[in-house]
Amino acid sequence: MTIAGAAGRPESAPYLTRRRSHGPGDERVFKYMMVGPAVLWVVALTLFPLFEVLRYSFADYVLGLGITHYVGLGNYAEVLESARFWHSILVTVIYVLLTVPIEVVFGFLLAWLVNLHAPGTKFFRMLITAPLFTMEVAIGYLGITMFSAQGGLVTSLLRLVGISIPWLSTATWGLTAAMILEVWRWTPFVFLLALAALAAIPDEIYDAAVIDCESHWQVMRHVAVPLAWPVMTIAVLFRLIEGFKAFGLPFALTGGGPGTSTQLFSIYDYLTTVEFFNFGKGSAMSIVMLAMLSVVIVLFFGQMRRRIG
Amino acid sequence: MRSVLWLRARGGSRVLVYALLAASAVWVVVPLLWAVLNSIKTLEDTFRAGAIIPFLQFVPTLTSWRTVLMDPGILHALLTSIVVSAGTTLLVLLISLPAAYSLARFDFFVSSRDVTLWFLSQRVLPPVVLLVPFYIMMVQFHLIDTWTGLIITYSTFSLAFGVVIMRDVFRDISKEVEEAAKVEGATPWQIFVWIALPLSVDGIVVTAINIFAFSWNEALFSSAFTSLDAQTLASFILASRGTRDVNFNLAAANTLLAIGPPVILSFFFQRYLARGLSLGAVKG
Repeated sequence: MTIAGAAGRPESAPYLTRRRSHGPGDERVFKYMMVGPAVLWVVALTLFPLFEVLRYSFADYVLGLGITHYVGLGNYAEVLESARFWHSILVTVIYVLLTVPIEVVFGFLLAWLVNLHAPGTKFFRMLITAPLFTMEVAIGYLGITMFSAQGGLVTSLLRLVGISIPWLSTATWGLTAAMILEVWRWTPFVFLLALAALAAIPDEIYDAAVIDCESHWQVMRHVAVPLAWPVMTIAVLFRLIEGFKAFGLPFALTGGGPGTSTQLFSIYDYLTTVEFFNFGKGSAMSIVMLAMLSVVIVLFFGQMRRRIG
Repeated sequence: MRSVLWLRARGGSRVLVYALLAASAVWVVVPLLWAVLNSIKTLEDTFRAGAIIPFLQFVPTLTSWRTVLMDPGILHALLTSIVVSAGTTLLVLLISLPAAYSLARFDFFVSSRDVTLWFLSQRVLPPVVLLVPFYIMMVQFHLIDTWTGLIITYSTFSLAFGVVIMRDVFRDISKEVEEAAKVEGATPWQIFVWIALPLSVDGIVVTAINIFAFSWNEALFSSAFTSLDAQTLASFILASRGTRDVNFNLAAANTLLAIGPPVILSFFFQRYLARGLSLGAVKG
């Protein structure tokens, strides 16, 4: 390194700058060399494949032969007329719209409690974040043993109080079981973001708030919630986007069954592509899904644009 | 520091706070505890009521753990998961760190913020959308059921994350040190390697853990692309599922083996977690 050696000799700087003005030391060359590989990677492995999906969605693709012929909007017609497709969309929407609000409420309330900094809350903070990086497929798999009719933890506990629920043999309860585990798995995400938002509120604001407000409840409603709102918006958008990707947890728990009743969109798309090798239909399905998601995506970008400097 | 709300809280409220925290702790711990207990029980004890406390109510056994850890299929899946996740992490850091630094420091013919948002857009895309073209690509390049195929796939999905979050980390480094080094004649590359990288170690570690965890937990593409040679733990578990004949004890041991590494890694790095998870949108 030349930094120390050049110390105290400022006259050398212009010489060095001039000498390097056209080599790799030049900032104008350097910045493109640094960012180039990443841009090329994304162009080759995301944008190009995305273009390919669009192409395949208008075609009949046979593995080994390639595109045999173009079918126009045939794949789209097949998708849009398929009851199974609309069922998978319905199940996904139910799944997302029921889990995300619960995660947001739980996550925010837990963050509120932890942010009180009562003695020992560091321990709780760490515990609450534990599910955050757990493998979803493994949680779904473990869920089978929790919701199993024979000896399952939840089933047995409920039976003690006289409730008998056919968790994994019906669509409604199977989906409910998946959503319970989904909430378990993802509440820590909202919790951490909410905690960051609450921690960023200066103490003085709370000092003033406790004088004006009658109860904790009022402080939360009139002070903390409005101040944490922007961050909570980000959390909700993240969870909506991630929620629509849900695959591993419900698939491992129910296998999409009984029958095809708990096949979320990603599961159905996956099966269409990988088990039935119907690449054209799989592609068309992806494009339709992307179009439906675009509202959420646009909102998300609006928020991120504002927050990224 | 205790919150003023806590200091002014009455006894009843304080009890309520702890009661709710305790309830949430139970909620989080019960599935994990259930897995731990089942992994050290015999099959008979699993279905016997009142076998809850080890040594007192049942005799713990390591049979399930021995079975799982001696299963060549599981060991190979474990090895694959480690190699693929570590490989992806290294590759993504190698490509995204320079790009992130460049975007943090320089402007282009478009603003670096727009380039960053463009990277971010790759992150929003549901991965299943790219399943078809990636599958066809893997077949064409003979990468089905290989570590390389998985590493390339996972790197694609983590690259945007690496660029966006590391750009945010690099932007936090004070420019003064870098300006000083520049005046002394250091090249941009030297400044990047000897100043920016060492000052960002915390951020790099958190990014690495996130990428590692993502690759470790991914199940959709690994299930689609691998069957035997490159089966990861996630696809192994998905392949072995079945609602009828799940062996509770082996399932428990498998689950703990699968969820352990990323969870334990994350415990060491609680700082920056919110920032990483929100792609830098939330500081903390």
